[in-house]
Amino acid sequence: MKYRSSLIQKLLRSIMLLVLLPLSASAAYVDELIAAAHSKQLSAAPEWHALLHYYPNLVLPGVHSLADDPAFLNAPDGKTNPEAELDATLRRFFEPPVNPLENPESQHAQCTFIARYHWLRQQLNFDDTQLIPQSCARFEQWFASLNPAGVTLIFPAAYLNNPASMFGHTLLRVDAKDQTEKTRLLAYAVNYAAVVDEKDNGVTFAVNGLIGGYAGMFSVMPYYLKVREYSEMENRDIWEYRLNFTEPEIEQMLRHLWELRGIRFDYYFFDENCSYHLLSLFEVARPELELTREFRWWAIPADTIRSVVEQKDLVGDAVYRPAGITELKHQLQFVDDDRQRMTQALANRALDVNSQEFKGLTVAEQAKTLEFTHAYLNYDIAKGHRTDTEAGPLLFELYAARSKVDTGPAFSPVPTPAVRPEQGHATARLALGLGYQDQWYQQLRVRPAYHDLLDPQAGYEEGAQIDFLDFSFRHWNSGPTRLESWVPVSIVSLVPRNRFIKPVSWKIRTAFERKRLHDGSEPLLFTVEGGAGLTQQRNVAQRIYAMIEGGLAAHDRLDKHVSLGLGPSVGMLWQVNPLWRLEAGAKVLRYGVGEHQTRHQLRLEQNVVITNDSAIRVNLSQQQEYERVWSTAEIAWQHYF
Amino acid sequence: MKRKLMFTVLAASLSSVAFAGQNNVGTCGWGSKVFEGQSGIAPQVLAATTNGTFGNQTFGVTSGTSGCTQDGTVSSSWKMAMFLDGNMNKLARDMSVGQGEALESLAALIGVEESQKAAFYQLTKANFSHIFSSDAVTAEQVRLGLKDVLAADEAFASYATKV
Repeated sequence: MKYRSSLIQKLLRSIMLLVLLPLSASAAYVDELIAAAHSKQLSAAPEWHALLHYYPNLVLPGVHSLADDPAFLNAPDGKTNPEAELDATLRRFFEPPVNPLENPESQHAQCTFIARYHWLRQQLNFDDTQLIPQSCARFEQWFASLNPAGVTLIFPAAYLNNPASMFGHTLLRVDAKDQTEKTRLLAYAVNYAAVVDEKDNGVTFAVNGLIGGYAGMFSVMPYYLKVREYSEMENRDIWEYRLNFTEPEIEQMLRHLWELRGIRFDYYFFDENCSYHLLSLFEVARPELELTREFRWWAIPADTIRSVVEQKDLVGDAVYRPAGITELKHQLQFVDDDRQRMTQALANRALDVNSQEFKGLTVAEQAKTLEFTHAYLNYDIAKGHRTDTEAGPLLFELYAARSKVDTGPAFSPVPTPAVRPEQGHATARLALGLGYQDQWYQQLRVRPAYHDLLDPQAGYEEGAQIDFLDFSFRHWNSGPTRLESWVPVSIVSLVPRNRFIKPVSWKIRTAFERKRLHDGSEPLLFTVEGGAGLTQQRNVAQRIYAMIEGGLAAHDRLDKHVSLGLGPSVGMLWQVNPLWRLEAGAKVLRYGVGEHQTRHQLRLEQNVVITNDSAIRVNLSQQQEYERVWSTAEIAWQHYF
Repeated sequence: MKRKLMFTVLAASLSSVAFAGQNNVGTCGWGSKVFEGQSGIAPQVLAATTNGTFGNQTFGVTSGTSGCTQDGTVSSSWKMAMFLDGNMNKLARDMSVGQGEALESLAALIGVEESQKAAFYQLTKANFSHIFSSDAVTAEQVRLGLKDVLAADEAFASYATKV
């Protein structure tokens, strides 16, 4: 043992000598590089700020890095001091080589911070004899398997009956050199998401998402896994926007992505979310892009897409990937009533593919019926309507049956929608209106996000509304100027039912709104309304719906401070022509708990598109509340921005 | 370790708890769940997006511990197995019809020449029941079935080694 330890000591000593000699020689060179970096003011360059995710402080002068992980920084004060960080980074590049045999995970600082190394090497013309380049085998292997030729921005659109999903998600796809139009599934996806504990419940998700309680991280995975997740399981259409980054730009973006492996950012649902961080990757690739600034406080994925598309020479074409449910709806148009019944029978095992009835069909009709049944069963399974033990064997039998029908695909591909999501109206809205309700009033209405049932429809999901923080201020001609209502959130989902898709339509709205009470006062009441019901498609342009609604109003001045009501509502949504939409509705709510009253409401609301970013809204209504009946007529000019 | 019944994986994966113990492919560990934060305000909506079937964190966390990935990318020896496992349902559907994106991608992975693609799709369609021998078939069984079918066909025998 003694002999062995002295041998180790000797070995160590000689290794240290080997390491220290070049270190002392390079000490002068690192100082030289640091001095050069200072004189070139590299720590103030946009490239450096993009690489370190520096962002200007809100109040105080200076910057801070959005990265919340010590492993991302080299200087103790690197989070707020770009220059100290740059100096420390340069020093680390001179560290002795690592031995991958000791730990295959270990990397030299030149590899860990390979995008910084690459950029600084260019800026300072590193002398490779004095700052020895290290081999980065792990990075090289990773980069080679990505084999990047291009980058595509991926946007899964809203899914049916879930207006909240309009907020969406964005991710990137790294397209490989050997990839074709038809093998996009084989590319890799780059995803930024919060890492959550699967035991967390919905409320915990929401709270942590708001306060930055989750770690946000980048991950890389095969694109087909994301396609399956969005397109098949969640039934969301996907839009793929090809980006025109040059090869050197893509290389630098991926070098930076490598630096971000396992790096934690605090995840904030509204601002520092997936879309925000993808934009920051674009800025690393092309520092003259200024994308993130615009979205510091509020990054709605669709808006970030819009902003990316607006950049000069950044976006190529967009490719549409319809979800399972979109295919089902498309195919349904070509399946007649008899075949629809047959599909139902097949799906319920009331009809066998080997029966005379089925075999009697033409080859084309067999193919069509089977393919439509596949689409339907896949949809039903994704929705959780069928258990796997029941649906698995059936689906398998029907695939096998289709393989024996000797003909090509029975359906045409789903056509690409004429208007893409980012070509729809901008999500913030300002409205100036004039109205009459016993007397004239002028109204200013501000809604930061997102889309209501009557807003211009193109690019949005039909029958889906989600409005946030809608403020209305009114100046009454012979009265006060005041906040008339504030609607924190209002969601409506009117999804038509058919033989195969049977969603429940629903709505929820919370508001502070003025009501005239018995004593003549008009306080801001807190109200919550919600409802559930059914929607039917009458034709392409018309949907009618009926719901049971419940309502709650709360205020000190109400009898017992609260009032609870229940009643029916009906309505119609009609796209009269491409520019003109209207909704007519009626409802009666009987308030029986707390303060008693019956509330009636009749309304007709219309929206006429004027230009890409403006519209005229005309609302007529008659209401009865707290035994008072009144009519309102209002016209408003709306601007989307 | 083998995951069963890919026809039903869609259903199974929606129930993330039931799925948690199964999301392994061979010795590849697809890791922790990922939450696509930007999905909505209603908590149940958020929950709906956390199915996390294959929402892995291999990029950051599990490299070196799993056999099939290199910092998030799939090593070449695992490419076919991973693809089959991740696309079983789509692939069966495409094969039964004789065309489709998953089938095209499979052909690309195997390296089928452009001029032979139509014949390849015809072959896999005709032998569907051999490749997908039952509803409880595993990705590995599909791979072996496909290998058999290719080996038995004169024109495609040379491709059998690539599966």
